[in-house]
Amino acid sequence: MSKSFSLFDGFMIGGGIIVAGLLLQFTSGGVVWDALAWPANAIVLAVFIAIIIAIYLLGRKFDALRFLGTYKAAIPAMIYAVILTIIMGLTKQTVDGTWLNNMLAFWPLVLIYMYIAVILGIITIKHTIKFRWKRDIPFLLNHLGLFIALVAATLGNADMQRMKMITAVDQPEWRVMTNNNDIQELNIAIELKKFIMETYDDGSPKRFASKINIYTKSGKSFTATVDVNKPAEVDGWKIYQYGYDTQMGAMSNISILELVRDPWLPVVYTGIFMMIAGAVTLFFIGAGRRKKS
Amino acid sequence: MTWESFIYFAIVAVVLWATGAWAAWKDKKTIAYGTTIAGLLVFFGYIVAMWVSLERPPLRTMGETRLWYSLFLPLAGIIVYSRWRYKWILSFSTLMALVFIAINIFKPEIHSKTLMPALQSPWFAPHVIVYMMAYALLGASALMAIYLLFFKKKEPTEQEYEITDNLVYAGLAFLTIGMLFGALWAKEAWGHYWSWDPKETWAAITWLAYLVYVHYRLMPRHRKPIALATLIVAFVLLQVCWWGINYLPSAQGSSVHTYGTESTQ
Repeated sequence: MSKSFSLFDGFMIGGGIIVAGLLLQFTSGGVVWDALAWPANAIVLAVFIAIIIAIYLLGRKFDALRFLGTYKAAIPAMIYAVILTIIMGLTKQTVDGTWLNNMLAFWPLVLIYMYIAVILGIITIKHTIKFRWKRDIPFLLNHLGLFIALVAATLGNADMQRMKMITAVDQPEWRVMTNNNDIQELNIAIELKKFIMETYDDGSPKRFASKINIYTKSGKSFTATVDVNKPAEVDGWKIYQYGYDTQMGAMSNISILELVRDPWLPVVYTGIFMMIAGAVTLFFIGAGRRKKS
Repeated sequence: MTWESFIYFAIVAVVLWATGAWAAWKDKKTIAYGTTIAGLLVFFGYIVAMWVSLERPPLRTMGETRLWYSLFLPLAGIIVYSRWRYKWILSFSTLMALVFIAINIFKPEIHSKTLMPALQSPWFAPHVIVYMMAYALLGASALMAIYLLFFKKKEPTEQEYEITDNLVYAGLAFLTIGMLFGALWAKEAWGHYWSWDPKETWAAITWLAYLVYVHYRLMPRHRKPIALATLIVAFVLLQVCWWGINYLPSAQGSSVHTYGTESTQ
């Protein structure tokens, strides 16, 4: 199939997408991710999946669309992604940077990864329709897993909340500071009971932790200890040890906590766990099987 | 156990591995297995002893991760040997392990006993050990590619391509799991599973580069030398991810993966 198409065509399509991205970047500036907050991201997701299904269905008629589900489209897409991500790895990235200094908002990079997601979607449909257990379980774990993780992480990012809360000993606190330094009030209050800092004999830090009481408007009340690497959880929030009064060190009477809520996390984790399972099948099956079939 | 005694364990292990490599050439399979595995046990014994005496897994500094790398190369070698009976693979893996052992003897990045809070996690050992295994397997695949492209006079055989593919598949499996374990750990440690930290960015680059190889090899009527060249490029990118990143201006001061001057992961 698609005999008339070659890798070169794949590179041309990818190149076209990058040029389109550059034009978008030039005319409208970088990608505004915050605009994707709920429910916009749900709508975008529905439209995105509808487009993928439409491409798949129309691919039966049009060679050019069917071509998107082939190696010759996928490989150039991955090579472009490698190159653009290398640029990202070689340039200093800042949140308020522009063009190459803020690659996450750089249209060509975003569009190429979107293009990869489209390809993943098309081949997922292809393999679901012509499903064969032994071939397609590993295939779908790898490809659909990546599709889910990639799409959910990207679209869900705007719904993620990260706040800092400065707690002082014995004073319940419910106000938090957003990344833009706005003050907000939460439905949870946290009271610091004790900040714990331990050091090794040479003075290097061994442990930072906060013993806290957590109260929620829904009526919960309990004690927890938040360590680095051991966040506490309440009502969809994860509470992390973030900082303390460095002047006071172990005597610090305050502890800075970070509160994170990410409603899309279960979806992203579904994708991640599928990919881990897929990697295990990759290890056991190896390259041999596909060559034979 | 200290680094002073490393050289003795290393010499014994290398002698055993070299004996195994020689035996493989001579088709003495039992000796090849016996000595290689004995060498692995000696070397692993040293790592375990270090683990006990440091009171933490020896995974933090470059020197410590090189220990695992030196262990996994002969381990990958003996696995490949057992599956495909490749005579020279043990010589290669021994030589590579020797290189990393020599670096550790002549340029030991000495290591304090402390483990900072950020690294105290059940994810620490699996994340780094799985990555080291991936690096060893993918390193072996890069050596295969270099050998087949530049040193082998005759046309490479199908079996040689198959071995290269198998090394990459196994390596990619470990690379994927290492990366995703890292994501799960990052969520617990830093509040987010993927923050495009420079280390994460380069991990994504490396991962994608190996995906290019795997897919290109599956494409009908591809050119095999190009596939092999891809492996060499991918391995260079992997080096940037592993240690090159410490020298990249773009990553200075912005990577949470840098733990003091001696960094790992």
